[in-house]
Amino acid sequence: MSANAAVPTPPRRRVVGYNLLTGLVLGVVGYYVGWWIGHHIHATSIGYFADTNQNDIAVFLGYFLSVVGFLAGLGFLSYPWARVRGYPPSLREKETAGVARYFGLCTDHKVVGIQYLIGIGVFFFIGGLNAMLIRFELLRPGGQAFPAGNYLTLVGLHGTMMMGIMSSAILGPFANYVVPLMIGARRMAFPRIEALTFWLLMAAGTLLATTIFFGGFPTGWTGYEPLNDQANSGMDSYIVFFGLVGISMLLLGLNMIATIVTMRAPGLTWSRLPIFCWGVISTASLMLLASPVLIAALLMATLDRTAQTSFFIPSAGGSTYLYQNLFWVFGHPEVYILALPGFAVVLELLPVFARKPLWGYRLAVAGMLGVTLLSWLVWQHHLFVSGINGDLRPFYMLSTELISIPTGFTFLCGMMTLWRGRIRYTVPMLFCLAWFFNFLIGGLSGVFLSDVPSDVTTHGSFFSMAHFHYTIMGGLVFTFFAAIYYWIPKMTGFQLNDRLGKIHFWTMFIAFNSTFAPLFAIGFMGQPRRVVTYPSHLQFLNDWVSVSAFVLGASMLVFLANFVWSLVFARVPAPRNPWGSRSLEWQLPSPVPVHNFDKIPVFTDDPYGYGDDDGRVPAVVPVGAPAGGGS
Amino acid sequence: MSSFAEHSTDYAVVESEPPEQLGRNLNTAGHLLASATAFFFLAFVFAYFYLRALNNAGLWRPRHVNPSLTLGTLAIVAVVASAVLIRLGLMDHRAGRRRQWRLKGWLALGLAGVAVALQIAEWATQGFGPADGGYASVYLGWTGLYAVFLLAVIYWIETLLATATRYRKIESGAPPAGHASGDSHRTGHDIHDPLSLVRPSLEALSFYWAFLAGIGVLTWFILYIL
Amino acid sequence: MAAAAPSTRAARDPSHGRRLIGAWILLSVILTPIVVWLAGKVIPPGNKTHQASEQVFDNQWIVAVSTPVALLMIAFFLYTLIVFRARDGELRDGPPIRGDARIQITWIVITSAAVLTLAVFGTYELLQNGAGGGQGPDPVAVPSGSKLPVQVIGQQWEFTYRYPTYGGLETPHLVLPADRQIELHVTSLDAIHSFWAYELGVKADANPGVDNVAYVKLKSPTTFHIHCAELCGLWHGYMFDTGKVVSQSDFAAWIKQQQAQFQPVSQYLPRYARSYYPDPQRRAG
Ligand SMILES: [Cu+2]
Ligand SMILES: [Cu+2]
Repeated sequence: MSANAAVPTPPRRRVVGYNLLTGLVLGVVGYYVGWWIGHHIHATSIGYFADTNQNDIAVFLGYFLSVVGFLAGLGFLSYPWARVRGYPPSLREKETAGVARYFGLCTDHKVVGIQYLIGIGVFFFIGGLNAMLIRFELLRPGGQAFPAGNYLTLVGLHGTMMMGIMSSAILGPFANYVVPLMIGARRMAFPRIEALTFWLLMAAGTLLATTIFFGGFPTGWTGYEPLNDQANSGMDSYIVFFGLVGISMLLLGLNMIATIVTMRAPGLTWSRLPIFCWGVISTASLMLLASPVLIAALLMATLDRTAQTSFFIPSAGGSTYLYQNLFWVFGHPEVYILALPGFAVVLELLPVFARKPLWGYRLAVAGMLGVTLLSWLVWQHHLFVSGINGDLRPFYMLSTELISIPTGFTFLCGMMTLWRGRIRYTVPMLFCLAWFFNFLIGGLSGVFLSDVPSDVTTHGSFFSMAHFHYTIMGGLVFTFFAAIYYWIPKMTGFQLNDRLGKIHFWTMFIAFNSTFAPLFAIGFMGQPRRVVTYPSHLQFLNDWVSVSAFVLGASMLVFLANFVWSLVFARVPAPRNPWGSRSLEWQLPSPVPVHNFDKIPVFTDDPYGYGDDDGRVPAVVPVGAPAGGGS
Repeated sequence: MSSFAEHSTDYAVVESEPPEQLGRNLNTAGHLLASATAFFFLAFVFAYFYLRALNNAGLWRPRHVNPSLTLGTLAIVAVVASAVLIRLGLMDHRAGRRRQWRLKGWLALGLAGVAVALQIAEWATQGFGPADGGYASVYLGWTGLYAVFLLAVIYWIETLLATATRYRKIESGAPPAGHASGDSHRTGHDIHDPLSLVRPSLEALSFYWAFLAGIGVLTWFILYIL
Repeated sequence: MAAAAPSTRAARDPSHGRRLIGAWILLSVILTPIVVWLAGKVIPPGNKTHQASEQVFDNQWIVAVSTPVALLMIAFFLYTLIVFRARDGELRDGPPIRGDARIQITWIVITSAAVLTLAVFGTYELLQNGAGGGQGPDPVAVPSGSKLPVQVIGQQWEFTYRYPTYGGLETPHLVLPADRQIELHVTSLDAIHSFWAYELGVKADANPGVDNVAYVKLKSPTTFHIHCAELCGLWHGYMFDTGKVVSQSDFAAWIKQQQAQFQPVSQYLPRYARSYYPDPQRRAG
């Protein structure tokens, strides 16, 4: 094919294969090398590097080299090293077949999607376990189970783990897996970066867990200064974690946008793009632009903790508000990084199960883009009583409340899609419908927090905690499960058990509401967030919440049982298109062949043409999909 | 689990990717990366003006906190010159003047290295440290992280030059379909014309480097002139 | 958009929409006043200060706007999920309706109106006298009349209070005179705290180096709870206290007693200032 096929590929000398094991070994080695170097600097350098007995430089260097070693062990350095020497990339490294692919660097977007699902699932369960322990502590008003410092670490671990890892909960597993299939591509634009985002996230989660060896951290997920600067070395784990998550999100967002912009198959115009892809673009653009601000803020915090700069130390020329501003410039878009994928999943799934086209496609797109844009203009609503820019509060109140308008578009489009439909109550559909309920409560309670006079009482109380659990857990985690139940048959080729799925849904839905609805009342009655003690008259409600939370935790075990039983033991093959969807990924065999499409398909319409063929179930196989296969 | 993986591909039936795919991807990524870079440094722009306006404890900028304008200016001149050279090198490459592009490329690489060296010289000779108030913090954080971005660009330039130099004797034709797509394990052939990797990457680099040099000029203006 | 398929004509019975809207209006007219009235009774922080009552009034407005929205959703979903469920096992598509400009425009107009109503009313309430929230060093909503300044100093892990008009007296107890306008100056010596006087309807963050001003107009004597509402480190959960509002004469007596009690240590206090810069508590390295 080429004009000159004479150039040989460089010889490959590989003593040990790259995989997770070598990654972990080199990760540990890297940590100790960094630790040693850090202590060397500490012992020899100028005064301000060496003023206390806890050596944050050593910890940061250890973490940094640990990540480098981990990535090297996974084989991520062979590409840049080949390029430095002028050799073209050799792409043979992911030719390996079999289960081993899932335990190393693999650039097949379908493998990465499944890696993400399992990896995120593990950390989701760890984060959930922390929540269980928090609720155990709060069974009694006085401190009972954990020392105050350990309790704060649990709170911080739960919040940080969930906010950091779950940011990629939809884009990681599902967008990586289905976006190329939806747009008729064989791969993501940058497959190596795609794999990198996953392994960075895993490294981040693991390093965050090591905070317990350094005494934990006291700041919660916000990491507010100057508490951050005071805290002992456990804080470094938080900073490194969020920094890595930031890099992972940035690259994930970049890759997603690039893929959807450049890799769409012929005929897939912007107005035919599946709505899920629009949700992915919105989320990805927030990831791309908000993460750098977070990374910058964390680097400033790192410098404050190591090189004794004073970005956030008021008595030395810095400002605590600077951190709060930078954190929430990231933090509010982050909230929509968590919420928007939920919108996308719901709008994508409703047409399939209501058997109607998506109602108001343009309005739905405008809604998601509007939310994306407005989410940049609202960050100081987290600081209404902080004393910052008191005169700007009416603006932030207005801009925050304006977000309800584009969010309302999503609601309208979803609701009108259901209207006059033929609604089928499958498990993924139940989770989508629950989203409406949860997000409605989350949205309405958000009005109280966005309204300054009302926020004076609700801010920093359990009310705001209940609010964001309704939007994030009710908005994201419910749709996360909707996506699992919906796409797992395509991803694995096996069905999940329907009965267990329904049991999971109903226990989760009821326990979720029973857990978080009373928290609104607890907040209104004066319990601040993140406390280890509370007034004794709030014990009944708190106990109610704790017991509900345990049931909620148990509902996750139902899911886990279903997942393992269906995919490992029962293994009932899934049909190619069990939901009767018109979307492209369902026209492919289950699971999807490595190269996705023999020929790149040509699109002639959007995937929502339900009812166009006189109400018959569609049998679209676009040009280019492999014939046959699946079951 | 094994059934996840056992799909053999008959490459004979798999259609190749369009040859311009790599260029499109890199071009888009270059722009996206530039926007992310802008937001990264916006955090420092914000920190500068915010801490300056607050001047907490009167410690925004004690008198002795005064980095060398000469070294800072020289560093930024080197950055801009390097970016301009890459741009000119790209024009050479488009016109098929491969030798001239390589020459300008190596020069640009050297200049970027000089910029980092000058920056390090400045840190080593200035009469203040990181603990000297708000300006000192912003100055050191900002220039330090800008230098990290410079190192990344140096890596990028170097990879292009390494490929261009290693295969300089080879006649490069039009890139074949499915070529260099990161997809070869699915399209069945390896990269036969490494030189064709250079142009798309150079186009993206030229844009990104110019953008980063622009941020450098802004950095210089805010930190030294304002 | 497209013409109805014959098989779906029954489902396109136009009375669906009218029925739903009718039910919604009926429900809203009956339930909204009840909910608003209940909210006035139930929603904290009560009416022990002007600011607290204002917050309750503000919450009633939010409830008044949200209740019909919530009712619309509930009515819609109850109706839709029952009436439009797939009745037979057979997989059949619904009508291919892709949008309706009138519905979209109506929706946008109504949601925008609701949002603007809330924002305007919230702003109005805020600018009355700050609604009890911290406003920073240069407050925009300043109530008229004379005010008693009281400084709240957060430190790990307690609040202390200074009375600049009484010789900069500093005490660990908060006692305030009834029927007075109070000007709270909230600051911190270390981490960020948040001064939350629950029944007073006051919350203001305590930032080191910042003077965060909040106003509260007290009514009759009472007691109130104080919590720290911003995570401030190890003993954050134990950073709570009880404050008192007492009659003017009791207050004068209390001040005298406190001045006498803290006389020995007062000389070591720094001069009263809007904020303090202690040595940075740094441990990094
Ligand atoms: Cu927000
Ligand atoms: Cu506190």
